[in-house]
Amino acid sequence: MGLDMDPLLQAWSYFRRRKFQLCSELCGRILEKTPLDQAAWSLKTRALTEMVYVDEIDVDQEGIAEMVLDENAIAQVARPGTSLKLPGTSQVGGPSPAVRPITQSGRPLTGFVRPSTQSGRPGTMEQAIRTPRTAHTARPVTSVSGRFIRLGTASMLTNPDGPFINLSRLNLAKYAQKPNLAKSLFEYIFHHENDLKNALDLAALATEYAQFKDWWWKVQLGKCYYRLGLYREAEKQFKSSLCNQDMVDTFLYLAKVYTRLDQPITALNLFKQGLDRFPGEVNLLCGIARIQEEMNMTTATECYKDVLKQDNTHVEALACIGSNHFYSDQPEIALRFYRRLLQMGVYNCQLFNNLGLCCFYAQQYDMTVSSFERALSLAENDEEVADVWYNLGHVAMGIGDVNLAYQCFKLTLANNNDHAEAYNNLAVLEMRKNNIEQARALLQTASNLAPHMYEPHYNFAALSDKVGDLQSSYIAAKKSETAFPSHADTQRLIQQLKQHFAVL
Amino acid sequence: MPEVKSMFREVLPKQGQLCVEATPTMVLCKPKLLPLKSVTLDKLEKMQREAQEAFRQQELAQKEQQPQP
Repeated sequence: MGLDMDPLLQAWSYFRRRKFQLCSELCGRILEKTPLDQAAWSLKTRALTEMVYVDEIDVDQEGIAEMVLDENAIAQVARPGTSLKLPGTSQVGGPSPAVRPITQSGRPLTGFVRPSTQSGRPGTMEQAIRTPRTAHTARPVTSVSGRFIRLGTASMLTNPDGPFINLSRLNLAKYAQKPNLAKSLFEYIFHHENDLKNALDLAALATEYAQFKDWWWKVQLGKCYYRLGLYREAEKQFKSSLCNQDMVDTFLYLAKVYTRLDQPITALNLFKQGLDRFPGEVNLLCGIARIQEEMNMTTATECYKDVLKQDNTHVEALACIGSNHFYSDQPEIALRFYRRLLQMGVYNCQLFNNLGLCCFYAQQYDMTVSSFERALSLAENDEEVADVWYNLGHVAMGIGDVNLAYQCFKLTLANNNDHAEAYNNLAVLEMRKNNIEQARALLQTASNLAPHMYEPHYNFAALSDKVGDLQSSYIAAKKSETAFPSHADTQRLIQQLKQHFAVL
Repeated sequence: MPEVKSMFREVLPKQGQLCVEATPTMVLCKPKLLPLKSVTLDKLEKMQREAQEAFRQQELAQKEQQPQP
């Protein structure tokens, strides 16, 4: 190489090509020579931020502490259709648990997971504590900041000389007066260091310096308040920011605040206001659809279709509509949506598993097994492998090969020992072989692991009824009734038992 | 062909002893479509995996250093 590139230009080029590690190292070398080079310093903060950047709008995790000690609840029992917390109180018309599996929180299984759908708001303390051991996809974290702090310490470990910027020695007031540096510094503190107190200080000073006219700083203040759990303060900042400048992001942040405050109707109205300003905005439309889905409304699919009219490659909308069709007995149509996702380049275990299931139920048997094989080869962890084997078990049941089904469910449990559905289905197979004791043990395990599912409770009730243990049968049937009030067989069983008891 | 059709008529007895037996069977849990993951979730999980890997490597390195002195 005869000509050497100017190091700063090269660093900038690395940054634009998203080679953040190289960029950060090069900036470090420039800073060793000229420690006061502001351009290199700012570029390095940006590179370090980009390495750990996640979209703040999507990040939304509720820890146990936040869920159980909720100070923002206005009423203990919300009116029907006004709360996200009690799916039972929302409008009727959601899918029945006899057709569509439900999650820990009592909502129908969704077609798409985001960080916020993971927590799943358990209703009681007991449930909240039990969750981490039961459902992999509905895992609450002990505290909101937990994951970020862990990621923060990890990034410190990788820098043996200590952190790049020593925040406690920083004169924030000085930086707040330099708008160009302050913004990248703020993002660094917020995303990389996760030091909310300093980030808040910097944002407060900077917005003061901008004479409270800069919408960007107000949004950042709101983000800090939101992370700190001060939702009303966050709401004020976001609203004030919207007075300065209408931005889609701000609408989304504000809606996030309302969702956390459990005011879905306000959030829906806000989205409608946003749509007046930005007609046809995909993110706003998608926000409406998400809230409707969480409230078990049947109109959610319509909303997702609106999203697809604006953006026909929207993965979330395609996946949600697909799963909705599958569970409303139209696997052929679901197959078309999942095939579309495959054409778009989505290539993972979940998609192939869904394709396999849809193919099987749409009677396209040639593709079924190869899809599942591919799903197994693409699985990233044991839980995913377990889920694929579980579904293969269903395929085996469908073709009548009970031995294969038995082996599939056993393999599910070998990969994920907490798979309640597999325990339940194994118990049903054991009952067919008349192994009553084994079936009973499996059902007990299943109902302990997943008290929200009605199947193990009902099966246990039916089994106990058969062997004459009426008291246990009644208790289990009652549990099944709470999990799924309109289940006809449960009600018939309870009536029978009541007659028995009356005769006694 | 109408004669053939009339040959096969269902028989629904209205008199005598009737026995209707509906045996409730045990229920299987339903097949489970796996939800796709959002980009953010994917990235968060990837970052967490990498952080754990870095942590483990550092621990290994420390263990290797300790017994020598």
